[in-house]
Amino acid sequence: MSQFYRRLPRLQYFLPKTLDEALSFLKEHKAAARLFAGGTDLVPQLKKRETDIPLYLVDLKGIQGLDAITYDEVAGLKIGPLATISAIATCPFVQDHYPSLFQAASSMASPQVRNRGTFAGNICSAVPSADSAPALLALEASVRLLGRKGEREVPIGQFFTGPRKTVLEADEMLLEIGVPSPKPGSRGVYLKLSPRHSMDLAIVGVAAVGTCEDGMCKDIKIALGAVAPTPIRVPAAEATLEGKRVTPGIIEEASQKAASQCSPIDDHRASQEYRRDMVYILARRALNRVLVQ
Amino acid sequence: MKEYTVIGQRVPRIDGREKVMGQAKYAADYSLPGMLFCKVARLPVAHARILNIDTSKAERLPGVKAVVTAKDFNGWTWGFMANTRDEPPLAMDKVRYYMEAVAGVAAIDEDIAEEACDLIKVDYEELPAVFDPEEAIQEGAPVVHDYRPNNVSVEYHWNFGDVEKAFAESHLVREDRFRTSRATKGYLEPPASLAWYDPAGSITVWAAKQSPYFHYRHLAACFGLPLSKIRVIQPFIGGGFGGTKNDSVAGDFCAVLLSRMTGKPVKFIYTQEEELTVSKRRHSMIVYNKMGMSKDGLITAIQSRVIADGGGYTAVSPLTMYLTGCCTPLPYRLPNYKYDCYRAFTNNPICAAMRGHGVTHTRFACEIQMEMMAEELGIDPVEIRMRNAIDNPKPGEIYRTINDMTLKTCGIKEAIQTLVRDPLWAQKDEAPKQDGSVSYGVGMSATSYLGGARQLGHQSCAATVRICEDGTVNLITGATDCGQGSDTVLAMIAAEELGVRYQDIDFKMVDSAYTPVDPGSYGSRVTVLAGQAVQTAAADAKKQLLDILGREWKVNPGEIEIKNAEVYHKSNPSRRIPFDKLAKIACYSGSGAVIIGKGYSGYGIEPLGFENGRGNAGTSFSFTAQTTRAGVDMETGHVTISDFVIAHDCGRPLNPIGAESQNEGGAVQGMGQAIYEDFIMDRGKTLNPTFLDYKMPRSTDVPNIKVIDIITDDPDGPFGAKEASEGSHVSAPPSVVAAIHDATGIWFKEQPVTAEKIVKGLKEKGKWPR
Ligand SMILES: Cc1cc2nc3c(=O)[nH]c(=O)nc-3n(C[C@H](O)[C@H](O)[C@H](O)COP(=O)(O)OP(=O)(O)OC[C@H]3O[C@@H](n4cnc5c(N)ncnc54)[C@H](O)[C@@H]3O)c2cc1C
Repeated sequence: MSQFYRRLPRLQYFLPKTLDEALSFLKEHKAAARLFAGGTDLVPQLKKRETDIPLYLVDLKGIQGLDAITYDEVAGLKIGPLATISAIATCPFVQDHYPSLFQAASSMASPQVRNRGTFAGNICSAVPSADSAPALLALEASVRLLGRKGEREVPIGQFFTGPRKTVLEADEMLLEIGVPSPKPGSRGVYLKLSPRHSMDLAIVGVAAVGTCEDGMCKDIKIALGAVAPTPIRVPAAEATLEGKRVTPGIIEEASQKAASQCSPIDDHRASQEYRRDMVYILARRALNRVLVQ
Repeated sequence: MKEYTVIGQRVPRIDGREKVMGQAKYAADYSLPGMLFCKVARLPVAHARILNIDTSKAERLPGVKAVVTAKDFNGWTWGFMANTRDEPPLAMDKVRYYMEAVAGVAAIDEDIAEEACDLIKVDYEELPAVFDPEEAIQEGAPVVHDYRPNNVSVEYHWNFGDVEKAFAESHLVREDRFRTSRATKGYLEPPASLAWYDPAGSITVWAAKQSPYFHYRHLAACFGLPLSKIRVIQPFIGGGFGGTKNDSVAGDFCAVLLSRMTGKPVKFIYTQEEELTVSKRRHSMIVYNKMGMSKDGLITAIQSRVIADGGGYTAVSPLTMYLTGCCTPLPYRLPNYKYDCYRAFTNNPICAAMRGHGVTHTRFACEIQMEMMAEELGIDPVEIRMRNAIDNPKPGEIYRTINDMTLKTCGIKEAIQTLVRDPLWAQKDEAPKQDGSVSYGVGMSATSYLGGARQLGHQSCAATVRICEDGTVNLITGATDCGQGSDTVLAMIAAEELGVRYQDIDFKMVDSAYTPVDPGSYGSRVTVLAGQAVQTAAADAKKQLLDILGREWKVNPGEIEIKNAEVYHKSNPSRRIPFDKLAKIACYSGSGAVIIGKGYSGYGIEPLGFENGRGNAGTSFSFTAQTTRAGVDMETGHVTISDFVIAHDCGRPLNPIGAESQNEGGAVQGMGQAIYEDFIMDRGKTLNPTFLDYKMPRSTDVPNIKVIDIITDDPDGPFGAKEASEGSHVSAPPSVVAAIHDATGIWFKEQPVTAEKIVKGLKEKGKWPR
């Protein structure tokens, strides 16, 4: 009868030592097994009985090497499934080449949660307000998934299918997040609006990446979090700017388009109207930071 | 001025080491062999008639040892006053708020107890419900309690002077509607207790209570036992702030009864979400305030009509509504005053006391309205306050408010003047007003709070000071430190009065089998009243010691002094012995002696009229003036508070670290209420019962805080002390809202002033860019 956070349900805990072990376990048990990275999303969900209770928790933390973060100019950035949010926020490659990812990582939760939680877990739980998602969308990242049918690469824009829903099959796991090398001269930013100065979920998140060359806007990508069933790109706003001369008027127009393209909900965190208004404000700020300042 | 050796020193907390080392044990940390776990089953509807409760499935679950429902309590109910005992331990005929308790389960572990709760089947008929306090008191609204068919749980109608005449003669009259937040205490330790019902007929509990002796009376009454058989042992308390931990909760009664039924010790611990959903919270109040002013800005009259959302039961609210009304004549002179309040029963969770109890609602309304009127009259925020503020009475004189509250000291004018000289205010016009989209503003408030609160019934505190033969001292009181630092202050008072060192005092926490009865921690009463008891007890012990030494030394005991644990002859200071020697001489005098000093408090025994609003609700009154600097993002509405300066008259800070941190904590909690905190409700259901979504300020939100002491040395307090723990909670919201007004040009009258409300306000004024 009670609907409060409960003690954890009884589960079997499995700690594979290799990827193969993990994958064959997934293959055998499918939806009865759940992958467990930092647990900062999964554990509260299990305690709240908000998710199907699996029979098995498959803890990835026994497998060596899954926490790697690597970078080279050709291949870009590769983030392993156990790379923590803290590791990403403090990684020099990220700080130097992907400011929007750095800003997203540092805006999340608290130091304790950042030390445990992962980017992989953040995307796989697929909540609309996930902070890493807009930045990854704007950077046109892709994810490498490994499962029974083999390996596939999915652009992040096709990964989310609804609130808490992704294209992941029951026996698949996310093996890597890949982010292409930044285009020369490009800039990026992630802006998060939340009530307090820390430890809040985003009311609105806006990421923008793009280049301004000789006053002309190029390769502009704008993504929004917390204002639609999934994190989204806003193509109409991008099209307004792409290849055009950067003026206050055009930034204004693109920001208005971003606000009109989203479909926020009314809930206890914020009203629909406020969320939409804030998409406009944050998009305008983000575009100014990327294209003007 | 008297020289003190302990009072006024920055001493470490008496419990600091244990707490920092993680050694302090809280109620949930206690366990006994064979102990069972109790969980409370609750009904997820806001208003329903209970038709049947079937516990058979739960009882059959392996590991379940007993299940209780309302019938096992034989119709017993409890409450603050004889005519408001409307709350049963478990819901009887109906549930009146969402997740009200209907059954308690004892099982061999917590998982089984939780599972058993799922198996309890309640047949019920949902009833029409009411959630808005203004709707609740309209004719025809669903009735929450049959004994109050109009849903008015408490009402007072007080009238002092002639407000109508005063309004008619005023130069300016204003009426506004204000609303305060649905705030909660936000302590880290939710309710918990370990209970043991000894089959021989006595109850022992280790319970998280800031008023253990209220619980002691509740248990005696509920279980029909004499008080001598009730033993409440107080562990360390993880925060109180009033309300829930002054009272008992469903888990307390269930755990004791389940222990009686099973013969085993039973422990319960609420989850934080359970606490945030069902525990007592602050009232949200609607204040219709009307104020009159002369041309020069002198307040001529105030009329407040207050409608409070009380939730499903009365709890301590007769006191809440009293405090909400009685302090309006402070800190400004007020010649005419009318107060009409209605506390409505609704199908929301129960509302009760919280830090800044009562006063915070009406003071917020009056403070903001006064500034709005000053603005209309072209009078500056400092000037309007100085013109109206009460003067500090001369020594021996008394200021009497229109409702017969009496002040012997009042530092409000000095506090305001101190803030005016402080750089935050003095240089506010030189500081930047705008930086990008952020506008900055500075606001001020001036407020008061009562110390040494009194209500009805047993109000006194008592203490004994026991001298050990080696010169160390056991301090035994009935007072409970729920985190505010009172154990430290009481030890300092004992040390100062006795003449020993602070570290010589050992403080014993409440064990109702041995310590004296005491109302506990609320109403900023511990330092004032338990402090007086300790001072008296220490003086008594000292007298006994000196009498013995006087006989030894063949001198008048009045000739001997004790200071810093040294005992000496006043006119011949070279004649001296260390205190431990004195203790030994005294304890071994004759064939052995017992040196125990005792004392109890006696301040505040004048009559107090709940019905007419006359009299002192406190022993003395603190005064607080506060300035706030805030930055408001004019596009997003996001507020950043960068500075608080608090000038606080607590009479005399006995432990300066404690007084400072209480001021800081109170102001930060008040800031939460002003801009962040609110329970979001949907038909009685709390939508944000977690600290992720119920927004208390975090360390990253806290401004720089400067606390300045205004010393007034009140004659009715130990070493001049008044209160220091609630004043800044009252001063913070109006000061923050005034700063937001200075930044935005808008007066916000509803707490919390969230970013979203600010954007809405800016839009209405055409000041928002889209
Ligand atoms: C107090 C608090 C504050 C928070 N604040 C924020 C915030 O500000 N912003 C924000 O975006 N989030 C926030 N979160 C949510 C959470 O911390 C993040 O989403 C975090 O990134 C989740 O990572 P994790 O490793 O803990 O995931 P887990 O909880 O371990 O997993 C989450 C989900 O992903 C699945 N999963 C994990 N790894 C894989 C994989 N390799 N392949 C396939 N599936 C996988 C799991 O099965 C599970 O369904 C907060 C959480 C808490 C408790």
